[in-house]
Amino acid sequence: MNVDEVAPPFRIGIDIGGTFTDIVVAGAEGRLLAHKAPSTPEDRTIGVLDAIAGAARALGRDTEALLRDTDLLVHGSTVATNTLLEKKGARVGLLTTEGFRDSLEIRRGLRREVWDHRTPFPPPLVPRRLRLGVMERIGAAGEVLKPLDRDSVLRAIERFRAEGVEAIAICFLNSFRNPVHEHACRAIIQQAWPDAWVSCSGDIAPIMGEYERSTTVVANAYVGPRVVPYLRSLEARLSGLGLRHPLLIVQSNGGALSVPEVAHQPVQMVLSGPAAGVGAIRYFGRDTGSSDLVSIEVGGTSCDVTLMRDGVVQMTDQLDVEGHCIAIPSVEIHTIGAGGGTIGHVDAGGMLQAGPGGAGARPGPASYGLGGTLPTVTDAQLVLGRLAPGPYAGGAISLDLDKAARAIEQYIAGPLGLTVEQAAAGLIRLVEQNIQHAVERVSIERGYDIRNFTLIAAGGAGPLHGASVGRALGCAAVYVPRLAGVFCAFGMCNTDVRLDRIRSWYKRLDEGQSSLLEAAFGEMEAQASAALARQGFSREAIQLERGLALRYPGQQWPVSIPCEDGLAVEVIRRGFEEAHQRLYGHHQPSGEIEALGLKVAARGHLPMAAPALAEVEARRWPEPLGRRPVWINDRTGTVSTPIHDGRHLLPGDAVIGPAIIDEATTTLLVEGGQRLRVTAAGNYLIEPAQKDGAA
Amino acid sequence: MNAFAIDPIRLAVVQKQVDHISQQMGWIMTRTARSPIFSQSHDFTCFVAGASGDIIAQADGIPIHSGGGGFAVRATLQAFGEEMAEGDVYLLSDPYTAGGNHLPDWTMIRPVFVGGRLCGFTCNRAHQSDIGGGAAGTYNPEATEIFHEGIRLPVLRLVEGGKLRRDLFNLLLLNSRCPDLMEGDLNAMFGSTRIGAERVAAMLSEMGVDCGLAYFDALLRYGEARMRAEIAKLPNGIYLGEDGSDTDCFQAMEVPVRVALEIRDDTLVFDFTGSAPQIRGFKNSSLANTYSAVYVAVATFFDHSLPRNEGLFRPVSIIAPEGTVVNARPPAPMTMNTVHPATDIIYACWKALAQAAPERGCAGWGKACYGLSSGRDAEGRVFVMYHWHGASGGGAVKGRDGFPSVGHMISLGGLTLPNVEGYEQAYPVRIHRQELRRDTAGAGEFRGGPGVDYVCEVLAPTEHAIRAEGVRRPSGYGINGGLDGAVGKLEVEELGKGPRPPPQYGIQRLGPSRIRVLSSAGGGWGDPLRRDLGAVLADVLDGIISEEAARDVYGLVLTRDGRAVDHEQTSLRRALLMKA
Repeated sequence: MNVDEVAPPFRIGIDIGGTFTDIVVAGAEGRLLAHKAPSTPEDRTIGVLDAIAGAARALGRDTEALLRDTDLLVHGSTVATNTLLEKKGARVGLLTTEGFRDSLEIRRGLRREVWDHRTPFPPPLVPRRLRLGVMERIGAAGEVLKPLDRDSVLRAIERFRAEGVEAIAICFLNSFRNPVHEHACRAIIQQAWPDAWVSCSGDIAPIMGEYERSTTVVANAYVGPRVVPYLRSLEARLSGLGLRHPLLIVQSNGGALSVPEVAHQPVQMVLSGPAAGVGAIRYFGRDTGSSDLVSIEVGGTSCDVTLMRDGVVQMTDQLDVEGHCIAIPSVEIHTIGAGGGTIGHVDAGGMLQAGPGGAGARPGPASYGLGGTLPTVTDAQLVLGRLAPGPYAGGAISLDLDKAARAIEQYIAGPLGLTVEQAAAGLIRLVEQNIQHAVERVSIERGYDIRNFTLIAAGGAGPLHGASVGRALGCAAVYVPRLAGVFCAFGMCNTDVRLDRIRSWYKRLDEGQSSLLEAAFGEMEAQASAALARQGFSREAIQLERGLALRYPGQQWPVSIPCEDGLAVEVIRRGFEEAHQRLYGHHQPSGEIEALGLKVAARGHLPMAAPALAEVEARRWPEPLGRRPVWINDRTGTVSTPIHDGRHLLPGDAVIGPAIIDEATTTLLVEGGQRLRVTAAGNYLIEPAQKDGAA
Repeated sequence: MNAFAIDPIRLAVVQKQVDHISQQMGWIMTRTARSPIFSQSHDFTCFVAGASGDIIAQADGIPIHSGGGGFAVRATLQAFGEEMAEGDVYLLSDPYTAGGNHLPDWTMIRPVFVGGRLCGFTCNRAHQSDIGGGAAGTYNPEATEIFHEGIRLPVLRLVEGGKLRRDLFNLLLLNSRCPDLMEGDLNAMFGSTRIGAERVAAMLSEMGVDCGLAYFDALLRYGEARMRAEIAKLPNGIYLGEDGSDTDCFQAMEVPVRVALEIRDDTLVFDFTGSAPQIRGFKNSSLANTYSAVYVAVATFFDHSLPRNEGLFRPVSIIAPEGTVVNARPPAPMTMNTVHPATDIIYACWKALAQAAPERGCAGWGKACYGLSSGRDAEGRVFVMYHWHGASGGGAVKGRDGFPSVGHMISLGGLTLPNVEGYEQAYPVRIHRQELRRDTAGAGEFRGGPGVDYVCEVLAPTEHAIRAEGVRRPSGYGINGGLDGAVGKLEVEELGKGPRPPPQYGIQRLGPSRIRVLSSAGGGWGDPLRRDLGAVLADVLDGIISEEAARDVYGLVLTRDGRAVDHEQTSLRRALLMKA
């Protein structure tokens, strides 16, 4: 791509991953530039600045010149997640209602893998000695049963000070009905200890359920003192370097938010990064013309599955981060351990298994030559000719075919009495089956027929699997973004600013509710709009969406429905019944319905980078650069396969499979019987060849 | 043997595929069933069986259902065998005649035909909300005969050649207190087994039926090989294990479950000869349930990645004499059996297995002593509320302490405890405490999970149905030198009237009341004197154990400020205790 075409004003997305920090710069006409720099976990700011400098160089500018002409800089980072994973958060003290300090540790008995009873719970983020009860009690209807005892709060503060506590989380029973004691407690703390970092559960997650609220507020207090200083310092550095607009941070809900707003609720950042894929999916929806998309983003260790139906990305109210429940509105991402680094091994009964273990970035696959000896999916791809030996991932790594073949021989082919090629093909088949099953799960659980969806294969390792997984799923088409390897950074260039507000609303749905609901929603919307206005959004640029969490009495999980058709009780009922029918296959006509909570999603629209659409004059059938033997699939086996350089493929071009396309950040495989064409926006669409008969 | 060479890669693919089919069946069940017991508590199990009834995949479901499903399929084959036709669906529940485990679990069995040939079955075993009987909600603690426990289903041909037998269906609904729920749930069971059957048939058609069936056999052989390899690691010998209860639900008495485990090379024989005769109350086991319990014991003892197919059981034989609590004769009642004696059976087996491989030994999880309250709320609506917050502590294994206050062992803690706030919204109760009990966890190198002190004020008049185990002697036994967890205790007070000492089993009719569960705790693994000092110190600072227990049981002496380990004194103390 000619970098001259990437002209200001720029929009920049920067995504810090475990190995690389990705940057995508979108120019005025929707032209794009991608660049990767090594991540620098000890001081993440360095990797970010390196990435910006690298992109600036590629554009023939310096960092200041790039930032000065940048209208929008959106950043996603795993800093919050890593703080949780690496247990490097603040020392937190938790205040609870007297008698309930162990909810956090009992954790409702939730265990991920039931049969694996030998794996312990993750240790609670707050040890028991730092969980202290306070004399107070709010009743189930929000009434004060026992007033807050100031002395018990003061005693707790003394204890926390002596124990070196850095942040305090408060979670009182029934605070979702009435937060008065939590707020009074915070006031006492702020008075006695002005520097303390305090968060209240009812502010962070105003939902019913003391366990979920306490884990969420604790996680907030745990990551806050680590995350917020980083964000502030990064923003200061960037503005010092010429950035004239506020730095925006991606939240778990897929939208962005300014640093001061995120600082209130840093736990919102736990999915920052992957959630930005939403921006990419929405953008690609325009290019493919489909509003039903499912994406697989396959990286080094895992595969993230995200589903968009009718243009709406699926959301969830809860996340599980390493066994810690975090109850905030989030993009629903189903993650499985299937990536380039997934290790293949033969178990005690002589069966090949793909994962769940992975080689990570270090030592990584055997072929990286960084000390890894176990066979991984990347090694299998190399042995099968789908990847070429030599420079890989932008030259950061050189793939060694011999090492890959040796690892597969030693650990798979030898023990199973197979050839290296058979063993490698077997590993690929298994990992693709795992990915296929993950997509089916996401769709079946929601009652969708996946055959009506377009599969987006993204991530550095995804586009080698897209054609085969898409065929197995029966998807109409497989779409591969040219920038598949920087999917989330690209998504960040296409994000909106988004605020989610939730409020507990525990009432039966009956007549006379509408006006109460209207008033409550109105209040929430006014608050959210004001927050967006503070970030410079005009009234017209703000879009508000209302939602209700409803259930039949006795149900544990509510069903969330949008309220776009108004708040008349019968309209709400119909919406709920339809959703219940789709999700669960039945509903109770005229059954009693309970409301649990109100939601307002406030979006500040940023102008979306429109795909730069090329004029397609005539279909071309470009000649490959060369050929090499590639194992395509079980049916085709290994055949001499045309290899194309993606840089030479232009909108309108078509290629008949089997074929391999080498791209800057990824590699695509097209199977025999499939046809690939380049879309008007320069991305790839793989379809069964007979479709539209153009071949 | 078969004529097909088994390709190891393809075998792995087929294994994942059938596992995935059984999971898909589960997702559909969760999504379409009516009762919260399915959509929210997941009290069902979906499985795929081969043509002779051996389970080949059961990736989804609750532990105590595992291992028993094959009985149901084989009973169906026996009852209908040659008559079985395409489009049929069978339903059964009776533990005495139809391969059921206990009456509330209804098993639906759908034969899979490809090209007119019977190739396997897709099945769903699911706990119904109500099946009639002497008490609403399927558990009748006063039952002394199976007839008091609800309708008994022999193998029913519920759908014949694709046509639902409406008469039978109506008969079923007529025998439930909640026919609407039952109808919805049975429809969900139809749906899940139908989709499972379609997927299995498609898979077999694609592979070729003969080839596919050869792979099904290979899966069972694979499971068998994995199991034999695990067993072969254990030393040959005969190992004894005993657990049991101290009540027959009506009076205090010894109800032992005794097992003699013989390990011979790569086989296991569990011989329950010498176990108590069947009892009056509803804690008798069916053969299918006893197999399930042994299966849970074995599967949890060994590597959890063992495939859950019936090939695993080929090297395992079970001797369960008729007329005992592990294989009762009709008409003994048995609805409680998936908890008791299932837990007792698992513990007896665990204790025997632990002698052969102490490293893998599992300490006992405390048995539960909480009950359930039912009554009417302020608006006159019936409610049934389990006092789940009074759950007991789990037992330790090497490498981890026991889980604190966790669900039943038989579900491996798979049950999610409710939130206090959810309960206060849904029921006329106010919960005053749910806090771990100090000095209850069984001491050990890895200690048990502590029990909980739970206090609940029930604001309405209720019936309080009680089944209290582990209240008179410890149930969370220690292993390999670990100590037992504390006993549990149930206290009941009728407000304004004073204490109402509860029976061990039975029903109390109460006015507004206060119920306190001091739940039992899990046992420890290994000698407490080998426990990591940092872990003991943490337990003292966290109030899980007292300073005295640290000194007397763990040999840890604290510094004067009580904040650190006095290493010199501790070494002396540990040396002294080791000699003693």
